[in-house]
Amino acid sequence: MKTVIAAAAAAGLAAYTLIYAAGLAPAPIRSDGFSYYVYLPSWFLYHDATLASVANDCCGGEFPASTAIIRWPGTNRWVNAHPIGVAIMQMPFFAIAHALTRWTNLSADGFTLYYQHAAGIAGLCWTLAGLWVLGNVLRRHFSAAVTAATLATILFGTNLFHYATFDSSYSHAYSFFLFAAFLAVAERWNRDGKASTAVLAGLVAGLIVLVRHTNALLLVCFAPALRSDARRLALAAATFLLVVAPELAIYYQATGRPIVSSYGELGFNFTSPRIFDVLFSTQKGLFFWAPVLLLGCAGFAILSRAPSSARRLVLPSVVFLALDTYLIASWWDWQFGGSFGHRGFVDALPLFAVGLAAFFAWATRTTSRRALVATIVVCAIALNLFQMAQYWNRVLPFSDTTWDDYRAVFLRWR
Amino acid sequence: MALKRRLIALILIGTALGALLAYLHDPPWLLSVTSGMRPWETDLDGRRVRWMGGHASLFVPSDGRLVSIPIRTTFNSGDPPVTATISIDDRPVDRVTLTDAEWRLSTIRLPPNGSRRARRVDIRVDRTRADNRGAAVGEVTVR
Repeated sequence: MKTVIAAAAAAGLAAYTLIYAAGLAPAPIRSDGFSYYVYLPSWFLYHDATLASVANDCCGGEFPASTAIIRWPGTNRWVNAHPIGVAIMQMPFFAIAHALTRWTNLSADGFTLYYQHAAGIAGLCWTLAGLWVLGNVLRRHFSAAVTAATLATILFGTNLFHYATFDSSYSHAYSFFLFAAFLAVAERWNRDGKASTAVLAGLVAGLIVLVRHTNALLLVCFAPALRSDARRLALAAATFLLVVAPELAIYYQATGRPIVSSYGELGFNFTSPRIFDVLFSTQKGLFFWAPVLLLGCAGFAILSRAPSSARRLVLPSVVFLALDTYLIASWWDWQFGGSFGHRGFVDALPLFAVGLAAFFAWATRTTSRRALVATIVVCAIALNLFQMAQYWNRVLPFSDTTWDDYRAVFLRWR
Repeated sequence: MALKRRLIALILIGTALGALLAYLHDPPWLLSVTSGMRPWETDLDGRRVRWMGGHASLFVPSDGRLVSIPIRTTFNSGDPPVTATISIDDRPVDRVTLTDAEWRLSTIRLPPNGSRRARRVDIRVDRTRADNRGAAVGEVTVR
């Protein structure tokens, strides 16, 4: 496991350096990454919770429409579609960047060189931390070899590596870590009766909601799988409320209400979800772009009948993945804008990892099966990495990829 | 033995960090660093310009005495004036009010040479036009 994580760190740093040295992407704080990050300069450099001072400095008083930060009707105050969780997790990196910015005499406005790469590197670091935590969860149920193979496949066989490097300022790397941490805490909750575990559970649960509100679904799905303990549940709930309270206060000062739909008029079409497209289409289909995850689904079926200690993770994971798919497929922009693969599912990759590990454990039982699965997985990883490089070099479209588009550039560099 | 190895590693890391910090205090590449600026383009009058948003910064050699910054913005009918504030190393040194689409030249006498090889120039405008365009900044000259 250590070798895989060390290799992931080396590959991640190399890819990150290549992306920005070769100019494959603009500075890291861009697009959604801007609105996730913007709280930090606002709080710590301008001492302003309303975001107005950053708007004045960066944009002459008005955030551009592309930032997903809107003026709330009635109060005329800024409401950010993206919550504060990512900014909280970027804080240590921001602090180092700020000290270095002062030291080098760069402009301390929150958006110069060191701040940019602190935000970019933070996503990579949280991904590596997520792999570490996930590896420890898997190791409790599976062999070292299966755990290492699963971590490598999840990182290089899906779009996780892309969201750890190219688009590392988006929320997905952070949610990946938090989902892995939640699995670890949920297992610990059922193992020990410690109050510290309850505080940790509340902290992780709170951050999950602060990074992406809809991921509260994970807490709902896993709650029935936790051992009932009123005292620890109260402690976890109190910690959770303490963690999410600043977000409620921010919404309250901006809108007059503590709970709002921060996306304004954009929302869900629950009556016409694009489930097939979300899972299988050439545009952003989860299994079209990351076919190794099909092995994870097969692994859930295997695990549900196996006498494994990981079996109790199957039901909540499958229920979450089904409901999350419905939620993503119902979002007005079911492709989630420009992305490599479907970025909406990056958060849930730790859950897929459990199924994938079960599948790999099953595959290692015979030599021929192991060879066949290894061949398929290596080919899927190679294809994924090649397509990722195509996306970075703008050979693959950012969104709306048709079958004809895909065929025209399949295994081609230009 | 393990303690000795750990001590050596700590000393090496500390030395490397110290050297890195000493280098980053006054790095030579700072003169080519800008922020808040879009790529270079050619303006209608053939001048090379970079558009900034609300705030941009750039660096000039600290051994210069006078810095000249050409600046303009666009005006449609009814657009209010735009005020650009220029600072050197966080000290405001000039203010230019743009009332029409003509170029203005801000000429600033640099404060006495400090210990660094580059001085930071920040330009802030009080409002931006559509697409977050604050002002076009021409080629900055230092004498």
